[in-house]
Amino acid sequence: MLKFLVALTAAIIAAIIFFVPPVKGLGDLAKIIFFHVPTAWVSVIAFFTSAFYAAKFLRTGEFSCDELSAKAARLGFIFVLLATISGAIFSKLTWGTFWNWDPRQTTIFVLILIYGAYLTLRAAVSAEKIRAKVSAVYSLLSVLTVPFLVFILPRMYFSLHPEPVLNSAGRPEMDAEILIALIAAVIDATLIFWWLMRKK
Amino acid sequence: MKLSNSRLFEQGAAIFRKDFLIGLRRRASFAAMAMFALTSLAALSLATRGEILEPKILAALLWVVIFFAASAGISGTFDDEETAGTLSTLKLYAAPQAVLFGKMFFTFASLAALIIFLLPIFLVLFDCGVEEIFLLVTTIFFGAVGISSAGTLTAALTTSATVKGGLFPILLFPVTLPIFLPAIRLTEFAFAGGECGAEFLILMAIYDAILITAASILYDYLD
Repeated sequence: MLKFLVALTAAIIAAIIFFVPPVKGLGDLAKIIFFHVPTAWVSVIAFFTSAFYAAKFLRTGEFSCDELSAKAARLGFIFVLLATISGAIFSKLTWGTFWNWDPRQTTIFVLILIYGAYLTLRAAVSAEKIRAKVSAVYSLLSVLTVPFLVFILPRMYFSLHPEPVLNSAGRPEMDAEILIALIAAVIDATLIFWWLMRKK
Repeated sequence: MKLSNSRLFEQGAAIFRKDFLIGLRRRASFAAMAMFALTSLAALSLATRGEILEPKILAALLWVVIFFAASAGISGTFDDEETAGTLSTLKLYAAPQAVLFGKMFFTFASLAALIIFLLPIFLVLFDCGVEEIFLLVTTIFFGAVGISSAGTLTAALTTSATVKGGLFPILLFPVTLPIFLPAIRLTEFAFAGGECGAEFLILMAIYDAILITAASILYDYLD
């Protein structure tokens, strides 16, 4: 699996550098978007994975579920930091500033806060059983914010952020080779997350 | 054993009364909230030195003060029982839902008292007029309901934490953000007048209902 992932990642990076045309008016550095979108995607997937195992722990009481929930949150925290940094660089290229609290930037920042709060809570409770319970409850409580912060609030405020790939028109507005490279990068990042979750 | 609704209500009311009486005798929790609010208001007012601030900035300042002052008081909602070792006795006496809702109502009452204390001082210190008083009251009501419901569950989560300093606002802030952002926008409308966004009020009401339901479901797992 590891060899396959290394080969796939290398192939995608090579395709992005050599075959995908530069973004009009922004140059080659704007290709960081092929890193930003997959890491942002995985950070949300990791969030839901953590909440899924948290719910499973509360239902079954199996500590392996708590460990998986914590692992997904730790990985999600790393991915969300990468997504935020790469997004800030893309923002500087396109909007002229690293950060301006655009609704999408707010959403990703709140995800950092939630992951950080979850991991801090885990570190602050020493008894294993109580730690597992309170972190599972917090994970599920925080998942409630997602529909509001990801889907509702960004649409109620003015945003400079480009439309998501799966936009409201249901039709991606980008060149075919860019779209293919982006989808490949998203699949690759998801597989990396899945591999890391399974890794002991 | 399943309790009838009237028995649950009685138990919840008894817990509310207990916390209220303890709060009146000790006053520590309310004093912490009030003094925190006063100190932060004074600090902000001194820093701005009587400058006329935009309604947008004023609305944000008001909610930041409310959030952190509330955090100073709500974080210890379950600490009295935990310190005295009586939390398990309380859980024997009353159903978990009665404990949760009794505490939640008490938290809401404390928060309402805090805002009644804080708001006039804020308006005077920042020389801020209110164009839409009904909108401001409704926004504050929905905001307080959200902070109370999420705050009570979060306080229950942090009872067993070994490191408590600062943990409560860290946990509460992300969860209350879907209330915080519309509340700031609505308060801005209330200060400045003009078009009010009814959709923001609806959003706050829906999120409050979701928070109360989630707190009710999730609290049972903490037993």
